[in-house]
Amino acid sequence: MNFDFSLIISSIPQLLEGLGLTLQLWFISGILGLLLAIALMLMRISGKWFLYAPAMIYIYIFRGTPILVQLFIIYHGLPQVEFIRESFLWVVLREPFGCGILALTLNTGAYVSEILRGGVNGVPKGLGEAGAALGLSKVQRFIYITTPLAVRLAIPAYSNDVISLMKSTALVSTITLLDMMGIARIIVSETYAPYEIFISLMIIYLVITWGTQKAFALFERRMSRHIIQ
Amino acid sequence: MNLANTEPRTVISLQNVDKYFGEFHALKKINLTVAKGERIVICGPSGSGKSTLIRCINRLEQHNSGNIIVDGHELTDQVKDIDAVRREVGMVFQNFNLFPHLTIVENLMLAPRLVRKTARDEARKHAMKLLERVRIPEQADKYPSQLSGGQQQRVAIARALCMNPAIMLFDEPTSALDPEMINEVLEVMTDLAKEGMTMICVTHEMGFARSVADTVVFMDAGEIVERNTPEEFFNNPQQQRTQTFLKQILSH
Amino acid sequence: MESLTGWWDDFFWGSLIVVEVFLVSLVLMVLFGLLGSAAKLSNSKILQKIANGYTIIFRGTPEILVLLLFYFGSAITLTAIANIFDPSIKFIDINPFWAGSIAIGLVVGSYATETFRGAFLGVDPGQIEAARALGISNFKTFVYIRIPAMWRLALPPFGNHMLSLIKDTALISVIGLQETMFVAEQATANTGEPFVMYLMVGVIYLSFSTIITLSVMGFEKYGNKHLEVGK
Ligand SMILES: Nc1ncnc2c1ncn2[C@@H]1O[C@H](COP(=O)(O)OP(=O)(O)OP(=O)(O)O)[C@@H](O)[C@H]1O
Ligand SMILES: [Mg+2]
Repeated sequence: MNFDFSLIISSIPQLLEGLGLTLQLWFISGILGLLLAIALMLMRISGKWFLYAPAMIYIYIFRGTPILVQLFIIYHGLPQVEFIRESFLWVVLREPFGCGILALTLNTGAYVSEILRGGVNGVPKGLGEAGAALGLSKVQRFIYITTPLAVRLAIPAYSNDVISLMKSTALVSTITLLDMMGIARIIVSETYAPYEIFISLMIIYLVITWGTQKAFALFERRMSRHIIQ
Repeated sequence: MNLANTEPRTVISLQNVDKYFGEFHALKKINLTVAKGERIVICGPSGSGKSTLIRCINRLEQHNSGNIIVDGHELTDQVKDIDAVRREVGMVFQNFNLFPHLTIVENLMLAPRLVRKTARDEARKHAMKLLERVRIPEQADKYPSQLSGGQQQRVAIARALCMNPAIMLFDEPTSALDPEMINEVLEVMTDLAKEGMTMICVTHEMGFARSVADTVVFMDAGEIVERNTPEEFFNNPQQQRTQTFLKQILSH
Repeated sequence: MESLTGWWDDFFWGSLIVVEVFLVSLVLMVLFGLLGSAAKLSNSKILQKIANGYTIIFRGTPEILVLLLFYFGSAITLTAIANIFDPSIKFIDINPFWAGSIAIGLVVGSYATETFRGAFLGVDPGQIEAARALGISNFKTFVYIRIPAMWRLALPPFGNHMLSLIKDTALISVIGLQETMFVAEQATANTGEPFVMYLMVGVIYLSFSTIITLSVMGFEKYGNKHLEVGK
């Protein structure tokens, strides 16, 4: 075995050809997942059982099973179901890309909704009461007092989840998609140089993680300047 | 002066009010009336139900039985617009509860802008006037975390005044403050009293009670034990429990 | 459901492998977590650097990448070593069980490092001082004051790490471990019923997650029972 340093460098451009797909999966499911999470969180805190019970069951299922299993149920399993093939969902599920987006979205939505709920619960009760004492309605209090503070509280945990989501995108390589991970696996099978290829891929992922953390830290610092507990 | 009108108008009345937290009986058959312009100080040992009582008045807590009438509105589940009553009643909390993400002046502008739909400039002008009244106009564009406790509490008073309330509730407004800051807050409260504001104030500042209050109410274990003018209350307490409490508090 | 007939015992054995991987990687996770946090809290700059490198790398790369790197990397390394002694050896097959358990133990151990570190630092120094002031020995202070306090702080995140471990075991099918995902794949090839088969895997994992969650809740209740009085 000879470790080939130059291969680490030279394989990077090839791997980066999958970056576009990785980023697409990450951003699209990140945004859709956030919307889903907001809806689930609102259902969770609604105080109405017919809203929070379904949300709780959803969160329980999607946090309790591996995302790989979710991905396989969607990619391998759903096309087998007759009415899905006949429904509009088929447009999405026909393509592995759509399956990837769907699995990542459904999964991250469950996790992020709990993070958002944590943020909302972390806002001191007294602030809501102060708003109530001023005559603000429930909705006004939620929009102008609870939300801005909850967002600030949730940023650190949310940034971790955004990074988790980025890491999860690598799983789409198991459903034939050629994201960076998928390309790496092909190169490895051709060159039989797993160390070099996988280490360069690691470097790329680490750079993305590092950049994401820095961006969120900056964002948090700007948002929370004046909120010293 | 028209003598027929000197009969003071009742603005708050509580009749046989009971409040439970689960099994715990926090308020027991409370009866209390407050006339327009009256200044009431409530004192009593910790856990006696003082906060619960004044929080029932703007319905931050819901009482279980009895009647509470504030400015002509009875507080019930059916009250269509509890928010409207709350606009008539300003409240100042022990730990300020300023909105940390808003500047001082924005803290004061929030409710008028949202509830009264006051224009921005006008809301700001009004807010600045109130900040002058509590003597910190120069802090308008800072954030709460940049102010001292005494300053924050004065802002909180100004914020409570921004909806032009007819009644002000204070829940131990000075007990979270360092001793040297207590006076600046009490001075602002004394000013308010002189202007004729109706005030209910939970406090253990007996100097303030003596000089400002019309009535002192003593609570213990969820009951109003004694209610009297400050002179009578301090010089000639009627009840054993009041005497014990006063001995403890004045010996400090 | 009838398509599952004949596959129940395969799923059972697959589940057993999931449990085995879980237990092995749990031990490794605790080990790596303790070593990592000890290194981070040590006075040695080098140890701190190594531990920081460890957490940065393993928290910042996809689990599947770590797994593949481990599997193919160790295979090729061992083959090279074996070739020194016997050039006729073409390829040494690595046991996916061990490659997988070590890989996910390492990944989740990097998260546990931070948990243990936080728990150690989170203990109120006043409690330790109070114990000292009462003349309690260092060792007894550690056992009776510090450990219980750390335990309470670390338990909720530790429960999450266990959930991560159990869910990560599903990845090991990618390198050919014959756990439930692998069984589902084979069953699908045989029956043409992927939906039922993968759903079955989901149900199995959900049961494991539920067991872990409930046990952690039980422990938490036990650990906090004195703290509830008087709240
Ligand atoms: N939300 C609640 N749930 C349960 N019990 C409560 C709640 N709020 C208050 N209590 C109980 O009701 C009693 C009265 O509380 P309250 O806060 O009114 O006392 P207080 O006179 O204001 O005391 P302090 O001087 O300490 O502020 C206390 O025994 C308290 O434990
Ligand atoms: Mg109180």
